[in-house]
Amino acid sequence: MIAKLAKARQGRRRGVIAWAVVCALIPAVLVGTVDARSAPRPVPSAADILRTMLAAPARIDYEGTKVISTVRGARAETVTILEAYKRLGRLRLEFLSPESVSGRLIVDDGLSAWQYEPSLHLVVRGPSFVQGTARPERAGEIMRRYRVEVLGREAVIGRETVVLGLAPGETGSNRRLWVDEATGVVLRTEERDPQGEIVYVSYFSRISYSLNLPPALFRFRQPAGAKVLSFYVSGEAVTSVDELRRRAGTKIAIPARLLRYTFRDGRVAQHGAFASASATYTDGVSVVTVFQTPTSRMAFPNVGETVTTREGPARYLDVGYFRVLVWQRAGTNFALVGNVPQAVLLAAADELAVSR
Amino acid sequence: MNHARAVRQLSAYLDEELSPSEIRAVHAHVAGCEACRDELAALRQVKDLLGRLPEMEPPAELWSGVRARAERAHHPAAAVLETLRAAFRRPAAAAVAAMVVLILVAAPLVKGRLDRLQAADIGVDLYVREHAVQAAADPFVDRAYLGLLIGDANLALAGARRVPGEGP
Repeated sequence: MIAKLAKARQGRRRGVIAWAVVCALIPAVLVGTVDARSAPRPVPSAADILRTMLAAPARIDYEGTKVISTVRGARAETVTILEAYKRLGRLRLEFLSPESVSGRLIVDDGLSAWQYEPSLHLVVRGPSFVQGTARPERAGEIMRRYRVEVLGREAVIGRETVVLGLAPGETGSNRRLWVDEATGVVLRTEERDPQGEIVYVSYFSRISYSLNLPPALFRFRQPAGAKVLSFYVSGEAVTSVDELRRRAGTKIAIPARLLRYTFRDGRVAQHGAFASASATYTDGVSVVTVFQTPTSRMAFPNVGETVTTREGPARYLDVGYFRVLVWQRAGTNFALVGNVPQAVLLAAADELAVSR
Repeated sequence: MNHARAVRQLSAYLDEELSPSEIRAVHAHVAGCEACRDELAALRQVKDLLGRLPEMEPPAELWSGVRARAERAHHPAAAVLETLRAAFRRPAAAAVAAMVVLILVAAPLVKGRLDRLQAADIGVDLYVREHAVQAAADPFVDRAYLGLLIGDANLALAGARRVPGEGP
């Protein structure tokens, strides 16, 4: 009996000690947890965040309000748009402001893009311009061709983003992207010219992620009585330079390389009586397009400002995100279009002159 | 013989082209009809005047011209040429024909010039639109802004250009 009491007391004492140890450990564990929370999380690598970004079009549906500000030469414009995106490659854009574009609706179902202009009661149908496939494997290619660096972490509309800096070579425009770390959606974009001035800003003022936006949102319903125009001006693409020359029917200059861009494909774009041979070049990421139209079919377009190339005077036009250089030589109107600075367009024009 | 029939045969009677019985019948009627006598006298006077005119030989080239025209009538092209020549002999028809030819020749030239000017007007819009569609492959491109650029270019191609901007 005494032995039983002694065993019971010993057991109680062990229980008390165990409780004391547990009580002593809880604050220590809590302190550790707090320390872990406050410790800075490692910022993902540029390649990792690029992969997340490139996979987003196949993973994430969203709906939000986007504000875009651009400088087009001496004019600035801010456009507000309701943007909805659904996997894989379906897009709906409702333009809210300014007044000149208010009410415009664009619905891209991945095959065709429909544009409705309420002020004209006009529908324009053309090819899709949305790429909806995941291409995370392209991250390596981008890393090789661009200088990409992680500039840090910032909160945008309450979401954690990783800030990426992109500089395509030594002559390209500098871009910064605020990429939502969790979804890979770009919440803010800035582009600066070579002088460091911001020429393009695009950001979401609000965004909601949804796993399943209704498909009906991405189906265009034609308003009754609206006039419909079909603008499939792009001809069938060809990847052979010789075939493009044959289809163009006139002598055109198509070098295999243009600066750091290589020939990707070409086509003959046609709109009514107007036809132009176009060759698209890519550096693996962005594209530059060369258009060639006989002067017998097109007078010289006097747009933008006058600049000088090695071959003589040319016209330069800044349409915000894209820049256009137009010049004339040997019975052909040349045009170069790309999201590159003026200096790159001028250098490409000089190289084209040499290649003829 | 009644009066109407006798009048129709007076010229033949004068030229002695009637049968003996017809001559007798006309003679009998004229003897009793003053109007027919007057008509016969007038016809005789005309015949006398014509008989006093000198005889003329036809030009030597008359027959060759007639034969050439007859041969041309067998060729369609020649017939068309002849029709055109005939048309040009009339000033109003010639003016209309000249106008039609002028329109047919000038219309393609004028249209070509208008198309060339229109191409200059919309060319850059077409370039921007085509490039925007090709730029969709750029993973960093802003889809919303592509939509804006393509939309503006579409309007310009449709002849209803939007003027962007909020002032300088």
